[in-house]
Amino acid sequence: MAISVADYRSLSARAIRDGIARADFSACEVAGAALAAIEAIDPRVHAFLEVTSKLAHEAAVRIDALRAKDQPLPALAGVPIGFKDNMNLLGTRTTCASRMLADYASPYTATCVGRSLAAGALPLGKLNMDEFAFGSSTETSCFGRTHNPWDLDRVPGGSSGGSAAAVAAGMATVSLGSDTGGSIRQPASFCGVVGFKPTYGVVSRYGVVAFGSSLDQVGPFGRSVADVATTLDAIAGRDPFDCTSQECATSFSAVLDAGVEGMRVGIIPAYLEAKGVEAEVVVALKGAMDRLERCGARLVEVELPNAKAALSAYYVIGPCEAFSNLSRFDSVRYGYRAPGARDLGDQYEKSRADGFGPEAVRRIMLGSYLLASGVYDTYYYPAQQVRTLITQDYHRAFEQVDALLAPVSPRTAFKFGELADPTAMYLSDIFTIPINIAGNGGMSLPVGRGEASGLPVGVQVIGPQFRDENIFRVAAALERCYPEIERLAPAVEGVEGGEA
Amino acid sequence: MRGLAAVLQEWEAVIGLEVHAELTTLNTKMFCSCPVDFGAPPNTHVCPVCLGLPGALPVPNRAAIESIVLAGLATGCEIEKRSMFYRKNYFYPDMSKNFQTTQGPVAFCMRGSLLLEVAGRSSRERSCLDGTLPLPEAYAQEGYCTVVGITRIHLEEDAGKMVHVGGTDGRISGADYSLVDYNRCGTPLIELVTEPDLRTPEEARLFLQALRQVYLTLGISDCSMEEGSLRCDGNVSLRRRGAAAYGTKTELKNMNSFKNLHDGLAYEICRQAEVLESGGTVAQETRHWEPASKRTISMRVKETADDYRLFPEPDLAPYDLSESFIEAVRSRLPELPDAKRARLMKSHGLSYLDACALAADAETTAFFDAAIAASDVASAPAAASASAVAKPVANLLINDVAAYLNTHALTLAQTRLTPAHLAELAGLVAEGTISSSQAKAVFARTAAEGVSPARVVADEGMEQVSDESAIEQVASAILAQFPDKAEEYRAGKTGLLGFFVGQAMKATAGQGNPKLINEAFVRLLEG
Repeated sequence: MAISVADYRSLSARAIRDGIARADFSACEVAGAALAAIEAIDPRVHAFLEVTSKLAHEAAVRIDALRAKDQPLPALAGVPIGFKDNMNLLGTRTTCASRMLADYASPYTATCVGRSLAAGALPLGKLNMDEFAFGSSTETSCFGRTHNPWDLDRVPGGSSGGSAAAVAAGMATVSLGSDTGGSIRQPASFCGVVGFKPTYGVVSRYGVVAFGSSLDQVGPFGRSVADVATTLDAIAGRDPFDCTSQECATSFSAVLDAGVEGMRVGIIPAYLEAKGVEAEVVVALKGAMDRLERCGARLVEVELPNAKAALSAYYVIGPCEAFSNLSRFDSVRYGYRAPGARDLGDQYEKSRADGFGPEAVRRIMLGSYLLASGVYDTYYYPAQQVRTLITQDYHRAFEQVDALLAPVSPRTAFKFGELADPTAMYLSDIFTIPINIAGNGGMSLPVGRGEASGLPVGVQVIGPQFRDENIFRVAAALERCYPEIERLAPAVEGVEGGEA
Repeated sequence: MRGLAAVLQEWEAVIGLEVHAELTTLNTKMFCSCPVDFGAPPNTHVCPVCLGLPGALPVPNRAAIESIVLAGLATGCEIEKRSMFYRKNYFYPDMSKNFQTTQGPVAFCMRGSLLLEVAGRSSRERSCLDGTLPLPEAYAQEGYCTVVGITRIHLEEDAGKMVHVGGTDGRISGADYSLVDYNRCGTPLIELVTEPDLRTPEEARLFLQALRQVYLTLGISDCSMEEGSLRCDGNVSLRRRGAAAYGTKTELKNMNSFKNLHDGLAYEICRQAEVLESGGTVAQETRHWEPASKRTISMRVKETADDYRLFPEPDLAPYDLSESFIEAVRSRLPELPDAKRARLMKSHGLSYLDACALAADAETTAFFDAAIAASDVASAPAAASASAVAKPVANLLINDVAAYLNTHALTLAQTRLTPAHLAELAGLVAEGTISSSQAKAVFARTAAEGVSPARVVADEGMEQVSDESAIEQVASAILAQFPDKAEEYRAGKTGLLGFFVGQAMKATAGQGNPKLINEAFVRLLEG
């Protein structure tokens, strides 16, 4: 074929589309290379829960037909994409990595998925995740763990671990994930790729299985800021099926070259001194601060006095919404049904006890408790008040600055089983959760490897609500300051067995 | 057990209602674009949203919000500019998401009222008129008015329907299997809650009737109690006459007709009185009205109170209604039943009872108004002829038309009858062209065939004989035929006049003008 697996793995979305447009290779050849990459690499990484070869080929045939007729190619024409397995795609299973939905066939397609495909992307399949997105390591998947392509003994992060690993390993060019408390940004950081959680409302949630409805937001992964911008351009904007979605007139791809000259970038001093943050994370962040300043940005210290309460608010609001959202999985209409139930109540109890994994059960029970009468006023209501305070913190901060620079995770990727205590796992999301609470957008951008661990480290760029273009400007400028960093994870290099 | 009248001499009943109405006239469901359609094959009007499939999201139906605002404005409610949807969480297979999307402490409509007119025999159930207002004198009826507070009207979605197969009593426990139809799931529903302002079962029944008329007039629901698009639960407690504190209330369910609402409450009031008078206490519980055995029975007593874990629906932002939206809805308010009744009495000189009958539903009132308008156009001088036909038109609508519709199970729109037909028919009677009894026959043909009344009269040669000399000839012939009876009359048995008139009507095949015939006999016999 005219495109090798190795070439495919290093190409950007733009390069693939342009290559097809120039007839250097066909979309069908791209699909073939992507599927070959998955076949060679995924047995070690296990990012995919389902590979949709047929759908990818069908999409590729349509792109090649456009090309043959000299018709204009859409923005993601021929770009292989993977979807987190909480996104519905007609013709696939949508399992949420849960036994509860192990055989659930999607009867419809999520808006974000449909828009990616309408933009010409080739659907490679469905990607592993923490069960129902409850987790930060993809270890709670009922279908086995995903390995970090940089170190196969380590987690890829989570909950969108499969989405990050598939891109880092060069199996998918881009992917979609969802982020409720850091589930795009943290795995992006762990896997050395770019991951973006837009402002709540930029991307439709219709068709994405809900975890925390007021916190969930869909966003893209890519190996460059440009690929993430191109993908976001394709999926953003108002959707009549999601009344929390908003119009989006901005082209994120168009702002990448604008630079940061004169931009004010906020630094939160408390984050640099926070307990439990590894030194290499602080070093990486300081390095990024220096580079931005040299690019002409002005660094400004800002305070987020209430951000420290975000984790507490999150572990009230998230489980409450999850408890209610997951009530529909009752074995009556679809999903896992336990055998041998005596009556309806017994069927509910058995099916839900066996169908959900331990972390899902933990969150459901927590939410059920927190919403109980007498308890609600003590937790849920104050948590919403805290949410208002945190949102105001960000509004005030963004009166002084155009973007914020912050750590993504206090540490780099950890080993399987290393964070066995759920609370320790929860604490690892301390820098990502506040913006889900406030609703702002945030991007994780790789800035090299940690001095001590040798593993990828990311920094987080946060923007004002519905000013996500600020984030892209800062991230694109910063990316240009790190021309040397690897885009593909070396641990899986060579495993594809040479040219396909 | 003592009867209701005796009980209400000593006890005051305190009654509040919860009324659910499905917004059956909307095209689509509350949160998706599936059609609101009853009687379709099971599970054919469903989509990912109303089936609660993973990933689906609700989008509120703007027309449903217009409907509830209409209901609120028609019942004097304050319209809350900012209100929210909540999730009421409970597990049951008819609720596809296992939570119902409803409203929280602030509903779209708050703090309204309806003025209830209790006239005629209905008013006698109330033994003490304290706190009531007199009826307007023009009503010429015994009775009173009372203000019934409306706490709130909120918007929510309906559940699906379940059929339990096997087992004994159609309940899920003991059934072999259960079937669920989600067609109804997600149908927009408005729930109105009254203050505990009702004092008799009759007031409760009249309130529900009045509310039904308002909803029908607004056109927001078909309000069928048989089909369950209008459902009513009642809360009732007793207190000694003059006492201020409320007693313990029970909640009554399964009162699915106006009669059942009245009878269920009446039974429950008497039952509570008996419990209290024998030194017992009323348990706070939900009771089920059983019309067959005419009693209420306690439903399963739950050990713990239901905890629905109500919290704000995170998929729906707080709803902000603009002043211009509310004003646009207000401008669509039709004439409401109370105003209609007053107008019919004032402008057309109709009696209270006739006005009530015509105002009962929007279609009848509109038909009446159109018929009057048609008679205005048809003949001059307008004003005089309009008021002259008002009473006959009203009579035709209330009696003949209603009976015809009832017999054939039709609505006005389904007949071939037009308001102009009715005006013409009333005109023919008012002018004396045909008699009232002939009018019935004409009506039957017009309604069935759509032929104009004048055509029917002409076709069948029904013009009334109003020629005085012709009538006198007939009268003379009858007297000649029955000389004995004529003698008896002259001897003082004047009741025989009816017999003679009857004979004359028969002789003219019903076309003789009864008034002229009457006069002719009196003249011949007494002259």
